[in-house]
Amino acid sequence: MIFSLVFWLVVIYLIVRAFSSRRRRNYRWLQREVPLWEQKNIINPEQGNNILGLYKLKRIEAKGKMDMVRVLTLIGAIFIGVGVIFFVASNWQRIPAHTKTVLLMAVTIFTFYMGYFFSYEKKGFASLGKSLLFLASLFWGGTIALIAQIYHLPTSGNWLIMLIWAFPIVPIAVFFDNEYVHILASALFLIWNFLYTTHNNAANYYYPLIIFLVMLPTAKNLIISRRINISGLVIASLYCCFYKYEWLALLISAGLLAYYLIQKEEFVYLYASGLSFIFWTITFFTVRETLPNFFFLTPMAVILYLSYKNNVRENLVICLVGLLVWLNLSLSSFSRLHGDKFNIINFIVLQSLAGMAIYIAGIISRNRGYLFFEIYKVFGYLVTFVCLYLLSFRGMLDAGAGEIVNNAYFIGCLLLIAVMALLVIDETIKGHFKNKAAYLELAALFAALAGNLILLSNASVGIGTLAANAVLVVFAIINIFLGVELKASSVFTAGTGIFALFIITRYIDVGWRLKEKSLFFIVGGLVILSLGVFLEKQRRRVIERMRQNE
Amino acid sequence: MNKKIILLLVILLWIILALAMIIPNQSILSRGRAVVLETVPVDPRDLLRGDYVVLRYKISSLDLSRIKSEKADYRRGEVIYVRLEPKGRFWEAAAVQSKKTADNVTYIKGRVRQSYNKQLRVVYGIESYFVPEGEGKELERSMLGSKSSVNVEVMVDSSGNALIKKVHLDKR
Repeated sequence: MIFSLVFWLVVIYLIVRAFSSRRRRNYRWLQREVPLWEQKNIINPEQGNNILGLYKLKRIEAKGKMDMVRVLTLIGAIFIGVGVIFFVASNWQRIPAHTKTVLLMAVTIFTFYMGYFFSYEKKGFASLGKSLLFLASLFWGGTIALIAQIYHLPTSGNWLIMLIWAFPIVPIAVFFDNEYVHILASALFLIWNFLYTTHNNAANYYYPLIIFLVMLPTAKNLIISRRINISGLVIASLYCCFYKYEWLALLISAGLLAYYLIQKEEFVYLYASGLSFIFWTITFFTVRETLPNFFFLTPMAVILYLSYKNNVRENLVICLVGLLVWLNLSLSSFSRLHGDKFNIINFIVLQSLAGMAIYIAGIISRNRGYLFFEIYKVFGYLVTFVCLYLLSFRGMLDAGAGEIVNNAYFIGCLLLIAVMALLVIDETIKGHFKNKAAYLELAALFAALAGNLILLSNASVGIGTLAANAVLVVFAIINIFLGVELKASSVFTAGTGIFALFIITRYIDVGWRLKEKSLFFIVGGLVILSLGVFLEKQRRRVIERMRQNE
Repeated sequence: MNKKIILLLVILLWIILALAMIIPNQSILSRGRAVVLETVPVDPRDLLRGDYVVLRYKISSLDLSRIKSEKADYRRGEVIYVRLEPKGRFWEAAAVQSKKTADNVTYIKGRVRQSYNKQLRVVYGIESYFVPEGEGKELERSMLGSKSSVNVEVMVDSSGNALIKKVHLDKR
């Protein structure tokens, strides 16, 4: 299960990052360009607003000059604060303990007052005042660490120190509008929750309550604080998987979803809620084991609906991962109920088939003109490719060979194949597979299906490895042809990439067994260099031809 | 809200919290009864408070088949009171109870961390001893050698709350 969790987390991260960073770059470019077009009278401000409104973007405020005073005073405050904490930690004995406490407490209060004074009483020193308020908050941490040190309070109670540090600085963050202190308090609450959970082995319901009721409402204009608190909630939800706190995970997930519904502009709440619900369903499985969590489908349907409604396409990846995790956990529940053993090949083949089903969903979406079809296609393709790549290693098949087939997963695979067959037949009858590109996609799907069926049929390790490798080669060739057909250089490049990866992996597979490792590296280097030169040459030639044809 | 009032309220809160941390602990040190316990230590480091020595006492492991206990077993996380009696120079566990029963007897309050087959692992809140930078390793070396032993003088108040007063490094 941990393997599955890590695998899907990596997939989510890579895909969301790829999509979001490209989209964010485009949006930023648009935000910079629109004012420029207005300046040159290409468009008027109203048109500019309409363009930005179409993508739900805000105007970028003109950035002021970098405030050196602000930066320097903040860095100075951080240095002094960290210095004092190190001084406390050094446990210097020349000054009596209680004198140290009184001195530090007095310095803390004095710094706090000076922060107030420069912020509100004396005009023109706002930045200094802000940094001094932050410094006083750091000193307060030093003071309580010192008291705890003097009385040798056990380190198992460090969670309490974090809470006593964070809690009284919240009023400074809120009432004195100090974003640095807000960030500090948010980080301290996050650490408090971690220490509380690990030391006490107990669900910390106070953490989400504090974040939902105090920290998030007061962090409306503070992006970093908001992100820290939302990340803290998602991490808290992740802990629940390991500590079996299903109600806590549910509370966090529902709270995040509610926040998104209240503040629809902040998509991070929707991402976090989707992830948190995934952690909740994992926790549900760890607690109940043999009971599939059908309740999970309701929040996922709501999140999916919101993703479409509000045009949050990155969140679709989280929904797809959530559904895959749910499918796996449900099948695991059935497996446990019937006492089936875990079989790695069945497991990976199921993911591969699920990836194909998602790809077909992408084809159908495209044919009917629905939004986000490319997400389904890229996600489905990646999942299927990664699974078949894993299965192309002989060692992987050796691990699962000869074991009893897991019935629940086997039936799951058959059901997926049946659903895919029905969908493809339906699309064919409706005449959607007509052009050459569609035939190529269909051929790749059939190749993947054939490979998966051979692997599922518990064939010998040799035949299974051959099938998985053959599918990879077919994928590479079809990608190259599809790239040429669609005049899409990215698809073509992906094909050459798969081919290169295939050659390198198989070379390492065989070559690593050589006793003479130096020969392996020298020959390997030469092969990779030659392959790189050859593929680059081919790529350039084909892309050039594509351009000429245009 | 008036910022000056917030300023005063936060200062007041800081002072109250600092005193809430100091007064109960100081009261144990000044009014408690001193008991000396035998230890087995190791040396880690805390990010905020510096070097410290982890102390494990003889009374940290209790064998319920050997000492009096009002119950056959205790739950993990349960608060217990261990009756201490002097045996020679050191104080040792004589009985385990869920509640204090007599006022003129010395009890130390602990929490069960592990309970297995009548063996209890108990923590008393006196397992960390903070030392000046660099002295932790020195103390550890002295303790691990056969020439010296480490004993801890602990103050225990009438409610069973304990606090380390002093660590003695005695030559054997």
